[in-house]
Order: sequence, then structure tokens, then C-alpha cells
Amino acid sequence: MKKFRSILISALLISAIIFTCQCTRRPGEKQTVICFAFQDLETEYWVAAHKAITETLRSRGIMVLERNGHQDANRQLEQVRDAIAQDVDGIIIIPQDGESALTIIGEANRAGTPIAVFNRPPANRSRPALVVVADNEKIAEETVRYMVLAASKLERKMKPLILVGDLGDQNAIARRQGFYNVIGERPEIFEKPIEVPTKWDPATTLANLEAAMQINRGVDFIFTSSDFLYPQIRAVLEPLGKWKPIGDKDHVILGGLDGDSTAYMLMEQGFVDATGVQDLFFEAHAIMDALLKAIQDGQKTPEEWIEDPGFAITQENMQEKREDMWGYRVMAGLAEAKK
Amino acid sequence: MSHLRKRITTACGWLLADHFILVLTVVFFLVMWRIYPSMGGARNLANISSNMWPLLTLVIGQMFVLLVGGIDLSQTSIMAVTSVTGSMIMTLRLDPARFQDNPLWGVVLSESGGLLAGHVLAVPTAVILMLTIGACIGLINGLAVARLRMPPFMVTLVTMSFFSGFAIYLTRSENIMHLPESFIVIGRGGLGPVPYAMMIAFLTAVAAWTILNRMVLGRWIYAVGINRKTAVVSGVPCAGVIVAAYVFSGLCATSAAILYSARLEAGRPTLGQHLLLDVIGAAVIGGISLFGGKGKVRWAVYGVAFFVVLDNSLNKMPLNFYAVDIIKGAVILMAAVLDVLRNLLSQRSPARAGA
Repeated sequence: MKKFRSILISALLISAIIFTCQCTRRPGEKQTVICFAFQDLETEYWVAAHKAITETLRSRGIMVLERNGHQDANRQLEQVRDAIAQDVDGIIIIPQDGESALTIIGEANRAGTPIAVFNRPPANRSRPALVVVADNEKIAEETVRYMVLAASKLERKMKPLILVGDLGDQNAIARRQGFYNVIGERPEIFEKPIEVPTKWDPATTLANLEAAMQINRGVDFIFTSSDFLYPQIRAVLEPLGKWKPIGDKDHVILGGLDGDSTAYMLMEQGFVDATGVQDLFFEAHAIMDALLKAIQDGQKTPEEWIEDPGFAITQENMQEKREDMWGYRVMAGLAEAKK
Repeated sequence: MSHLRKRITTACGWLLADHFILVLTVVFFLVMWRIYPSMGGARNLANISSNMWPLLTLVIGQMFVLLVGGIDLSQTSIMAVTSVTGSMIMTLRLDPARFQDNPLWGVVLSESGGLLAGHVLAVPTAVILMLTIGACIGLINGLAVARLRMPPFMVTLVTMSFFSGFAIYLTRSENIMHLPESFIVIGRGGLGPVPYAMMIAFLTAVAAWTILNRMVLGRWIYAVGINRKTAVVSGVPCAGVIVAAYVFSGLCATSAAILYSARLEAGRPTLGQHLLLDVIGAAVIGGISLFGGKGKVRWAVYGVAFFVVLDNSLNKMPLNFYAVDIIKGAVILMAAVLDVLRNLLSQRSPARAGA
């Protein structure tokens, strides 16, 4: 019986191999295939970016292979390697961090597959890639400058706090730098800033911000490195009686960066003073156009850094600039769809 | 009627057969190859191979713990801690802007890299340190389970949480780059056509096979897993066996950390954070029982092969990302159900029972 089973297994394997080898695929017209590997969709920004990229590519007749790395750099590397083995025409990645972006770009470079990095840039420029990135430092500076203007009107010493992103991410580093550049200009207004690490994680943010506010009850100026953390800020400030609109004596001057719909809503309600906006739709279209052009031109390792200048939306310019804010447009689009 | 019974018996035989998962893997691969011709391409085969080796070392370690009726959830945190500590020793340079707030800045770390940056013994020292740390964490787990009689799930969950946090504390959430080329080559290079990663996984598998099949420790491991009380009565030093299993798991997790860190060219405090499902999934698919006492190195190889081929083929399909997760989850669930079914069948046919 044992011998019979072994023979049967061998026969099955051999026949399957022969069957597979004999089969030939009819050559058809080659469709452009792009692998879109993202690290996760944990914030509104990434969800909107994912939608903009996949829908636009598909509307142009391009096959999109979506790969979610689930915040695991190794898994994302494996997904990109598999895509390269599949002979995709190009790759768009939203990497987990700048370091893993560099490793993945190296893989694509070695294989001669053009690669584009969306919004989260590689740790350095040592390996060629198409990169679109917002000028985070400048946008943060503009935003914090408006917040400082609001603070200076109060004519008292302020205790600032910054929610710092994952410092393995160049965007988080630039935003933090932008905050310090402006705060450092006005030592007469500000005490030494308190740093709260978030690792881009809501639960970590909540725990760390709660702890920081317990020790530093006088905090009256908060800059969040990403708008998606506003619900956590509210959850901490509300029980302390500090979640108050502009004009109230207990109002905490609030600002952030991204430009999502929550930020817009909170600005409209008067809780947030200003927020920096990345032009998501510009970034998505710029990176797709650059990659498709590189594919068309037969470039294997194209290199270009595209900068999104972005802007700060404030209580003063909100009405005139909101149409350029992606969060407002997403919100308006949803409202329109509901009608 | 007897014909039908014969057919059912044959089907059961297939299910219980040692090579069932291998056959399934090969057939699945061939079907996928027919649909996606790039599956059989040299580059893709190299990918499948390179994805297999680190996972295999992890699964072999996990198998030892599963064999003694335990589970090691801390494997991923062992990977994270060993990845950053080893990198801290051998990194060639560090950016002060990102590391000067590090508790080890000026002691172990400096602008010119880690403690042994550029030294000829940097890589071997780092590897030995990593293996020692991995073994020590395994020892802590083993002692807590064997001596303090704490539930394995609880112990390793706590060590997972503690050492994950510790890895992040050590680096302040920063990745450590600029590792020496002689280390990175472990993840990318090879001796001729044979990758170093494959050699490490092969040596791990041989060591595991020798322990389980050629040493009395192996017999004891199965005995403890099948029935601990009987093993105690039979004079098996249960506590020592359990500790040894956890230490081996720690060493395997460290080997995987070396392979993953080398291929990612960085020490990462979050290394392997999301890998646990893959490890347990591959073990279960291979047929290694979650109830203890049942498992073979060969089964670990088959489970990992199937898991990696499945992952690879899913990456070829133009599916939405959530569909990929659903399919993968469903396959692991099916494997777990199959494990239960195989257990039931093997209990009914005593000739096949045991390892």
C-alpha cells in the first residue's frame, strides 16, 4: 500500500509538471501593469491617496496590483520583489519609513523597474527614484507662524507642546523642525516645548499625551504633526476643560498638518486655529504622470524629486482657500454623493 | 458499501500522509504557474526561496515550543531586540540629530557608529551577542513556564510586550542603518548559487532534526508534549526539556532576525512585529499540532513552503488588498480545521498515531 501511494504521488507530480510545461499562453496585447504597494491605510490622508491613485490609474486602462504591507517593511520588500518578478512596468510605493524606502528602491534599481515614492521620501538620495513630497518644513513653519501670531495677542508666556511623528519618517522630522524654527524665533513668548512621541499611532498618542498633560497642566499651545490625531487631542483636553473654541479664555491654540476633513470641520467650529495642507491630488497626479512618462520613455531608473509647496489654511484665509484643501473637497464630495 | 468504505479509508490515508502538504504545495504551484507564467520564472523562484529561509528558521523554533505543548509569542520581540542590539554594535555611522537623545549615546553609540564600528570582529561579535540575548530571553520564558508553572501564552505575551517596548526604548523608535557590507551580504549573497540564508536555515533544520530524531532530548520533547504527567512518571526531566525548547526557539528567532536585518539593511525596533500569524499559520499548515507532541522538521518545511507559495501567488493576482488578507486567513483557518480532523483520524487509526 505504501509503495503504491509513493508511485501514485510521483505519477501525479510528473503528470502535473508535464501538463504545466506543455501549456502555452497566447500572446496578447500587453497591458501596462503597475504595482501600488502601500504600508497601510490608517489615516484619512492615505485612504484618499489610495483612492486617487488606484482610480486614476484604472481609468487610464492600467492594471493595478494593490499590495498592503500592513506596516511591515519586510513584507513590503517581499511584495515589491514579487511584483518585479512578475515584470510589472512600474512601482508606486508608500513606504513604511525612509530607511525601508531606500532598500526597496535599491531592489527596483537592480531590476531596472522604474519606481516612484509617494509622500514619504527615502532616507537619502543615494538611489534614483521618482519622489513626490510636500515641503513639510515650510508648511509647518507657515502653520505655526499663524499660531504664534494668535499666541502673541494673548500677551502672556505660553507653554507649547508638539506631538511628534515617527522620527524614522522624514516627514515627521521636517514637521518637527518647522515647529522649532518658528518657536525658536520667539523665546520671549514660549517656554521650552514639551515633546510627545506618537509613532503615528493613536493609542500611543492618547497614552503619552494624557501623561504629558497630567504633568504639564499649563499647556496652552499644541501642534500636532498630523491632523489624524485631533480626536486623541480632544479626548485628552475635554476632561481637563481645555477643549474650548477660539475666544474662550481656556482655549488651547491648536494647529496641525495634513489638511484632512476633521481639521477643516474643527476649524469651522472654531477649535483649531490653523492647519498645514499637503496638496494630495497634485501629489497623486504628479507621481502618476512622472512614472507613466518614465515607462513610456523606457527609463529604467528615473530620478526626479517633485515638491508640493503646500500651504497653511488659517482662520483668516479659510473661506478663500478651502477649495484647495483636499479634506474639504473629500467632505464636500461625500456630502454631494449623499444628496 | 465496502467499496465506499475503501475509498473513505484511502482519502483518510491521504490526509494523514506525511507528504500531503508537499503534494498540495506542488499542485498549487503548478496550477498558479499555468495561470501566471511568471510564477516559474528564475527571479520568482529566487524570491520564493529567499522568502522561505528566515520564516523557516522561525517556524522550526516555534515547532519545538509547540511540541512541548507551549507557544512562543515572544519570537517577534526577540527579533526586534536582537536586531537593534546587534546593529548598535556594528553600525558604521549614526546621525546625531536622530540619536543624540538615545540613552546609549556617548556610551555605545556615537557619530562614528557603534562600539565596534569598522572593527574586523564587529560582525561576529554582534552575531554572538544577538544569539546570547535571544537564548537568554528564551531562558526567561522557559524558566517561567517550567519552574513557575505560568501559562505559556501569558508568559510569552508579557515578554513580547516587554521586549518590543525595550527595543523601541533602546533606539527611540529609530532604525539603525549603515550596517557593514559583510553583514548585509548574509541576506543578499551566497556561496555560488546557494544563498547564505538557505545555508543558515538548512543548518537550523539539520540541528533540529538531529535533536528530535537522534538524541534522547528529542524523545523527551515528544514525551512531554504528548502527556506531561506520564513523562514525569517515566523520569523525563520535564522542566529542563521545556526550558531547552524555549531557548532553542529564542536562538531560531535570533537567526531569523539576522537574516531579516541583513536583507532590510537595517536594525529595526519593529522587526517582525506583524509576523506572528505567518509563523503560527505556517506551522499549523504543515501539520504541527497546537496541542503538543506532534510535529516534524519536514512538516515545518512543507508548511513554510505552502505558506510562501500561497503568499507569492496572491501577490500575482490583481485582487483588492483586503481580498488577499481574507484568502490568507481562510487558508490558515482551513489548515487549523484540517489539523483537528487529522488528530481525530490518527486517534482512530492507532497505527498512524504519534510523531
